[in-house]
Amino acid sequence: MGKIKADLHMHTCLSPCGDVLMRATAIVEQAGKAGLDMIGICDHNSAENAGAVMSAGERKGLAVIPGMEVTSREEVHILGLFGDAEGLMDLQAVVYENLPGENDQEAFGPQLVIDDRDRVVGTNDKLLIGATTLAVEQVVGAIHQFGGLAVASHIDRERFGIIGQLGFIPEGLGLDAVEVANSSLREWDYAYPVVASSDAHYLEDVGRNSTCFEVERASFDEIAKALNSEGGRRIVTEEMEDLSLHILDIVENSIMASAGRVEISIELDTAADLLTLEISDDGRGMDEQTLKKALDPFFTTRTTRRVGLGLALLAQAARESGGEMDVSSRPNEGTRVRATFRLSHPDCKPMGDIAETIQTLVLSHPEINFVFQQKTDGSIHRFDSREI
Amino acid sequence: MGSQVNLTELARELNLSVRSADGDLDREVTGGYASDLLSDVLANGEPGNIWVTLQVHQNIVAVASMKDFAGIILVNSREPETDTVEKAEAENVVIMVTELPTFELVGRLYGLGITGMK
Repeated sequence: MGKIKADLHMHTCLSPCGDVLMRATAIVEQAGKAGLDMIGICDHNSAENAGAVMSAGERKGLAVIPGMEVTSREEVHILGLFGDAEGLMDLQAVVYENLPGENDQEAFGPQLVIDDRDRVVGTNDKLLIGATTLAVEQVVGAIHQFGGLAVASHIDRERFGIIGQLGFIPEGLGLDAVEVANSSLREWDYAYPVVASSDAHYLEDVGRNSTCFEVERASFDEIAKALNSEGGRRIVTEEMEDLSLHILDIVENSIMASAGRVEISIELDTAADLLTLEISDDGRGMDEQTLKKALDPFFTTRTTRRVGLGLALLAQAARESGGEMDVSSRPNEGTRVRATFRLSHPDCKPMGDIAETIQTLVLSHPEINFVFQQKTDGSIHRFDSREI
Repeated sequence: MGSQVNLTELARELNLSVRSADGDLDREVTGGYASDLLSDVLANGEPGNIWVTLQVHQNIVAVASMKDFAGIILVNSREPETDTVEKAEAENVVIMVTELPTFELVGRLYGLGITGMK
């Protein structure tokens, strides 16, 4: 069992709103750059380019899930993801039968059908941007009838999301998952498994949002099992997205400990393949027992938030990237947290927006003296909030 | 303030066809709201409103019931789905249908004294 990174919802140049550069080999190449192991191709109301991207993916060893983003009569977008092209083509036949109108290329954009070498081999004349005459229940029913997975698209967006259009998810709809466009909303409870995808219409957006699955291999069947939490397969939810969020969490502890001065230091040493994060404060510190509790992952869930939250998460992030974390704390003297990360490790977290994080801290806590130091291979950048 | 109108009078004046809960037509209409985005209707509709929409999904019944609307008018001759009618009968939510498009219908409702502001 291993972790894979999947972006299950992106468009090609077949969607009128999809960029003309969204072609088979270009998408596959971009997915590789974004570190994706699996992508899903979901054009609006058509699947005519899915096969081309599947072939291009096969050449590069990228798993490509064929799919379609169907628009229901209520203008709700539902993704149908399939194990092979056959079931998807059956769905396409039903969608085409119930999709009125013809595309106006001038108004909505071209709908290019391509082959697996990115050559344009035709155009689609249907009004793909339009809505089918199928009710949302009929769309989900058809997807299931042909062996697919039904996922409600970007439910956190007002336009074309099921909650925006219909107020709430109709009871008993039988979705396999819901998709969010903003991955920070993944902790919400929707009564369905939650996946995050990019809904990319442009190459640069491929992989901008993704879902981590723990599965045997990158395949449709494995994803179906993961959505059902079968046999140990699962969706892996990232507790923290990047280092800047860890910094915010640790500094929050310093603030709660009535610190007057907080020092944050980040040292990047590419020669040693090492990233070192150190945060120290002059707050009231923790005694041994509190420190022990703080490092216990059991005490770090959101519902039991208390002093020391985030330490266990940071320790986990450090360990996952081949590094370690240590904390020294003395009552009435302060706390020092030091975490190291292997820069080249695949699980090393991205830095995030450190500058914005520091700015947020300084602006929201003018009473605290923040000292920030970033050392990158010998060059030092230092900032002291007393000196502004 | 606009004059008080009930659903029976609306149906007669605007030639609306009743599709559900015809035992509840004596309800007074105290205002109106027109939108097809149900999340928006949940946020902005007021009790006593007559709601004008083209959505025919069964969720419209739940929204109308939750917001205590006087009733729903479906425009452009859109017929409610079977599930929608069943739910509406069970929840005593009046659904009526008109062949008029939204703009025209809202204009005529306004002419009968139904306004969209409190």
